[in-house]
Amino acid sequence: MSISLVIGRQLLRFLLYVGVYVLLLDNGSVVLFDLGWNFFYLGFLLFLPISTPVALQLLLGFVLGFSIDIAHDTGGLHAAAAVLLAYLRPWVLRLLTPRDGYDAQDTVNVHQMGWQWFTVYLGLLVTLHHLAFFFLELGSLQHPLLTLSRVGVSVAYTGVVLLIVQLLFFPVRRGRG
Amino acid sequence: MRNLLAFLLRYQGIMLFVLLEVVSFYFFLTNSSYQRAAFFNSANAYMGVLLERRTQVADYFRLAELNKQLLADNAQLRYKLYPPDFSRREADSLPVGRDTLGRVVYRHLRPATPPLPGQNPLTLNAQRVIPNSKPDTLLLGGSRQATRPLVPARVINNSLREVDNYLTLNVGSTDGVQPDRGVISAGGVVGKVQAVSQHYARVTSVLHSKLQIAAQIKRDGTICSVKWPEGMDFAHALVDQVQRQTRVLRGDTIVTSGYNAVFPAGVFIGTVESVATEPNKDFLTVKLRLGVDFSRLTYVYVVPAPPSIERDSLEQHTSELPASVKAAQAQAAKGGKQP
Repeated sequence: MSISLVIGRQLLRFLLYVGVYVLLLDNGSVVLFDLGWNFFYLGFLLFLPISTPVALQLLLGFVLGFSIDIAHDTGGLHAAAAVLLAYLRPWVLRLLTPRDGYDAQDTVNVHQMGWQWFTVYLGLLVTLHHLAFFFLELGSLQHPLLTLSRVGVSVAYTGVVLLIVQLLFFPVRRGRG
Repeated sequence: MRNLLAFLLRYQGIMLFVLLEVVSFYFFLTNSSYQRAAFFNSANAYMGVLLERRTQVADYFRLAELNKQLLADNAQLRYKLYPPDFSRREADSLPVGRDTLGRVVYRHLRPATPPLPGQNPLTLNAQRVIPNSKPDTLLLGGSRQATRPLVPARVINNSLREVDNYLTLNVGSTDGVQPDRGVISAGGVVGKVQAVSQHYARVTSVLHSKLQIAAQIKRDGTICSVKWPEGMDFAHALVDQVQRQTRVLRGDTIVTSGYNAVFPAGVFIGTVESVATEPNKDFLTVKLRLGVDFSRLTYVYVVPAPPSIERDSLEQHTSELPASVKAAQAQAAKGGKQP
């Protein structure tokens, strides 16, 4: 696959994730029980190719978070949490390396990597991101129970939404990139 | 040199990570300061256009609800136009007793002016002067800002459940909106303009931890302030700085006091829902039910700049030392240094 094709494809993914999030899932209209927020846009970062360089991931995370920040008027809150997620992702991937290492054409795909691998990967990263996000947003540890329940419900919500994205749009057979 | 390059490459991840986090935190922490340029927020031209398009599309699916809201506003305003039932039945004189001949004596509420000599009292009666129909500005607290109309605006972006909430409006500096102007809606106070671009404005809503509104209790005029602490829901706020000895009742109306010229006086904020006295506190804890339903906010009005430059400069002058005193102090300081 040529380099321009890869860039174009990732650009399209970026626009899709951010566009759908800002235009449809935003505006507080899809908050569950006043506790669960949806971080659909994280799918862009989480489902990047496994071999993406760390520096590029960090930059993409910053750009992604900052675009959401501009739409939400949150300054740099989403950006800070997204950069943290981009930094932690290689560590989690290393932690979850299969016995014989990643294949060249392995992607983050629930069909290829299996349910167990995918659940741990998604759950761990989304939980860390949400912990950082919600405690940062409040700026204090004053309401730990409320914040933790927000984290819990949001992790479940985001996890289910991203799982649906995987099941709907990711190829079942390997080899199509 | 090669070692340095190798070092940089080895630790590029962590260094870039720290750098980007510092940048993010800088933007996050300076977000609510008022001096920042209005580019990196939802009021910038590109994001504004995007959010406005989104609102246009979304509005199409809730036209009925929007019409109902406007209808309710219209009904309320129309009701205010009707004169009250008894306005025409007001007596212009009151019987105050009987004189010595047994006739009823009236005290006239509007004593007629004595007829000028040479004028027929009948024609005088015909051209009786109608009292000025405009309301007395004194009765309205002197804050009647009829010189310029309110600027109507559409809310195109709205957050409710964040720690600090903002709105984006589709009016900007070309429509005469300036920073620090109040924003109100049919239901009451909405917020304060924070930053303006050419066609859009960003508003800190009442649901922002740094916004305080100068308010008063309508019943007896007690001064207080309204604020929204972090972690409260979007239907309530707290009334601050109410002395313990003040009598506050459930259902009391809280309105703006008009003391800081952001809002005109007497704009509805909300009604008192509960009052509690806590030990070790000088002030009452008064919970307020906000008049505005922020979850279905659509049309709002920006209060135009009042002709209060004079007042503001006066207040600044009186809080500073007079110029002559300053000059004398500077002189003294100089004189003290030289010898």
